[in-house]
Amino acid sequence: METKEFHYRAYRPRPFTKEERSKTTILFGGLTWKHERLIQGSLERVGYKSMPLPNIERQDLDIGKEFIDVGACCPTTFTAGNLARTLMTLREREGEEGVKNNYLFVTIGACGPCRFGQYHESYERVLEGLNLTDFRLFLLDLMQMEQSAPGGGLEISMPLTFGLVYSMFYADLITDMEYAIRPYEVVEGSTDRVVKESIELLYEKLKNRPIKGKKIDSLVWHVFTGYFVDALKEVRRLWDEIEVDRLRVKPKVKITGEFWLQTHEGDGNYNIKRWLEKEGAEVIPPPVAVWMDYLINMELFKLEDAKGFVKRYYLKKLAIGTIASLYRMVYNRLRRALNNIPNPLPDQRKLKDLARPYFYYRLTGGEGHMLIGKALYAYLNRQAHMICELSPYGCLPNTMSVGAMAKVLGDYPDLLYAPIEIKGDAEVHAYSRCQMILTEAKRRAKEEFEEVLERTGLTVEDIRNFEEDHPELRRATYKVPHYGYAGTASNYVMHIAKLMGRI
Amino acid sequence: MGIPKFLNIWGTHQFWVGFFQSLGVGRIVFSSDTSEEQYREYGKGRITMDSCFPVKALAGHMGELLHKDINLLFVPMIYSLPSFLKGHVVDTLSCTRVMMSVENIKAGFLREKNEFEERGIAFVSPFVPFAEPELLPKYLWESLKEHIPGLTLEETAKAVKEGFRALEDFERKMREKSLEIIRWCVKNNRPAILVLARPYHMDPGIGHDIDGEFQQYGFPVLWYNYLPLDDWLLEWLFGEEIRAGIIRSYFDISDVWTSSYSSNTNEIIWGAKFSARFPWITGVIRLSSYECGMDQPTFTPVQKIVESSGTLFFKFGELDETKPAGSVKIRVETIVYYLEKYSQDIIKKKLSRLGAVPSQLLV
Ligand code: SF4
Ligand code: SF4
Repeated sequence: METKEFHYRAYRPRPFTKEERSKTTILFGGLTWKHERLIQGSLERVGYKSMPLPNIERQDLDIGKEFIDVGACCPTTFTAGNLARTLMTLREREGEEGVKNNYLFVTIGACGPCRFGQYHESYERVLEGLNLTDFRLFLLDLMQMEQSAPGGGLEISMPLTFGLVYSMFYADLITDMEYAIRPYEVVEGSTDRVVKESIELLYEKLKNRPIKGKKIDSLVWHVFTGYFVDALKEVRRLWDEIEVDRLRVKPKVKITGEFWLQTHEGDGNYNIKRWLEKEGAEVIPPPVAVWMDYLINMELFKLEDAKGFVKRYYLKKLAIGTIASLYRMVYNRLRRALNNIPNPLPDQRKLKDLARPYFYYRLTGGEGHMLIGKALYAYLNRQAHMICELSPYGCLPNTMSVGAMAKVLGDYPDLLYAPIEIKGDAEVHAYSRCQMILTEAKRRAKEEFEEVLERTGLTVEDIRNFEEDHPELRRATYKVPHYGYAGTASNYVMHIAKLMGRI
Repeated sequence: MGIPKFLNIWGTHQFWVGFFQSLGVGRIVFSSDTSEEQYREYGKGRITMDSCFPVKALAGHMGELLHKDINLLFVPMIYSLPSFLKGHVVDTLSCTRVMMSVENIKAGFLREKNEFEERGIAFVSPFVPFAEPELLPKYLWESLKEHIPGLTLEETAKAVKEGFRALEDFERKMREKSLEIIRWCVKNNRPAILVLARPYHMDPGIGHDIDGEFQQYGFPVLWYNYLPLDDWLLEWLFGEEIRAGIIRSYFDISDVWTSSYSSNTNEIIWGAKFSARFPWITGVIRLSSYECGMDQPTFTPVQKIVESSGTLFFKFGELDETKPAGSVKIRVETIVYYLEKYSQDIIKKKLSRLGAVPSQLLV
């Protein structure tokens, strides 16, 4: 009938069946190569062939712009362009039928009016533009574990979900180690080498992990097993070998900002983390795990607001509260296996309270209040000398919280804050803005270090001599406690002073 | 009580009038329509981050009200909206900028000194989730109780009901008005234009009165958010698709849009579907602001939904603070030419795809 033909219909992927699993490769992307490699291991264990998209490159921005409607935020454009480039390459290699039948793309989404919630609308433009509307693109919502794509080929099961959670935790922890160690490595390149080895080792562990049960039994196993911790203990031995020199005085720069941009490592954010390191800084990268923690805790906060209106309030509170604590417990166990070098997850309640005068926590979308909460937390707890805030061009929520920072800066004029707008093609401008604040951060790091030397009465030479007798101090996995200074070198001096019995 | 006439106040102001009247608030002062002058005089310099103009304009509205005789400045953070689509969409959230704009612009008034305090004006900005009716009174009460002495939660809850009633009354009247217009079109076989935009594009400073330009040429202009929703009409337009299993109800948009989180977007999409089916709407005018991230993914789908039925589609994108009066006039003239030339064909073609015109349209 004519009515049916003539109206426009939204894109619907054709089904993906169980039988196709062994012949079809799942494409996915959006995170760092470390996260993606580990996700690959997790997927392979439950029977999927998979392949991460290639690293984001500058050209993806231009490709993306060609396909999607004007006015998209920079992460959408980059990722859409990346998908387009991949599909074009595959088509060249395997022909149109090959792309359509041998591959499908999965993106995680569905959580609100911007961000992931609408990414796939832009990806559909890519398929239209490439004349590949038969290609399958699935949107999965990991928060609802039951959801699966039509056809039954993609099944979100407990073992898969937990595999993905561990992939994320692992990659976050290794990334934390990486950025804490590389600026201090004695042999250049040793950190990068160990990162690669660690990820490969963990990939194998995820790929060969035992599958114990399917539902609650699987949950219990994943939460309490020693399997994942033991794997990290092996990893720790790799890191033990790296020698570091913690007396290099470096400003610590905490990265915050929009989810994709802050976690990204590549042209998508001008490779800003590596650039900062090159400029002499130590970077604190943001773990993906914080964002999941935020989502879980938001459920808890919302529930607390609705007390008196919700049936079985205490039971629900207990349930969400338990999930929240188990989540942290698992993360902390893994951190411990790496001698607590990776940073702990911030306390979500604290972030919320810190941000409260400036940004109301129920305003969700993007990082919500976290951007402000994290900046204040780092400043007040002397975690970093400076905050580098990555804001994508054309972002909806991020622009709002960056604007709200104006008042924060009025109240804390000493907070070093560098909001960097990432447009994809304004690299020099971004670097030079960052450089300005970084110069001040360097000065502060130096001042702080001198103050510590004076306070402890130690000289660099004293410390070097002490190190000679205590070579374990120069191990990457040696944990230096926090003595209230932002800089690694300052805390290190304090620590040595303590060991010497001077304080 | 001063209320800036910004963003989502454009879709909910009757609620606020009903609500505050029920609470016995003496006088409600709205800011004036957005204008370049208002923005320049009261708003500039307070914007701390580049964004779309509808958000930036809030600074002008708030600044203007600070110069009026008010004790309280009420700027709600509207998180979700009441929507006639509720039920078959995922959510009814506001654009994240819309909901967060208050925290952003507020910072511009507090950065150096507290300008509200300085002028003896209390600043109240409650979190407003229209989609969570049980929580709405609670949030409103919590933010208002220290400013309205003796206010109880019960009173607030009652006022919320009054607010909803006022809003519903208003919308009913508007929909009746639209139906009247539609009937006039049917009777005289005249085409109408549908505007697809966000409610605040009705503000002449944001939408630049583009809809008005068309009226001057004798085209009745309808807004998607006040289209008639009578069963007999929707049955005529969508009934067959429900029976064919394509949609589950008249208000289901999942056949064309799978990310139904944002209420305004959902309604725009539904409006596009309506226009594609309704014969006497022969032209659709899409308005969108510069840097609108919410509209961006909808550009192609909306255009395709409209055009797939042969309906004419025109877009005025990238609207900003400066009114492009001259070029708008020229474009409107061209569009009017097309509308006049093709409307009768379009009506015929669209009619041929539907069943007999319902008698209720022919009165
Ligand atoms: S949070 Fe901002 S940058 Fe990220 S998807 Fe949403 S609009 Fe784009
Ligand atoms: S819907 Fe668009 S124009 Fe409106 S506030 Fe959001 S981004 Fe700005």
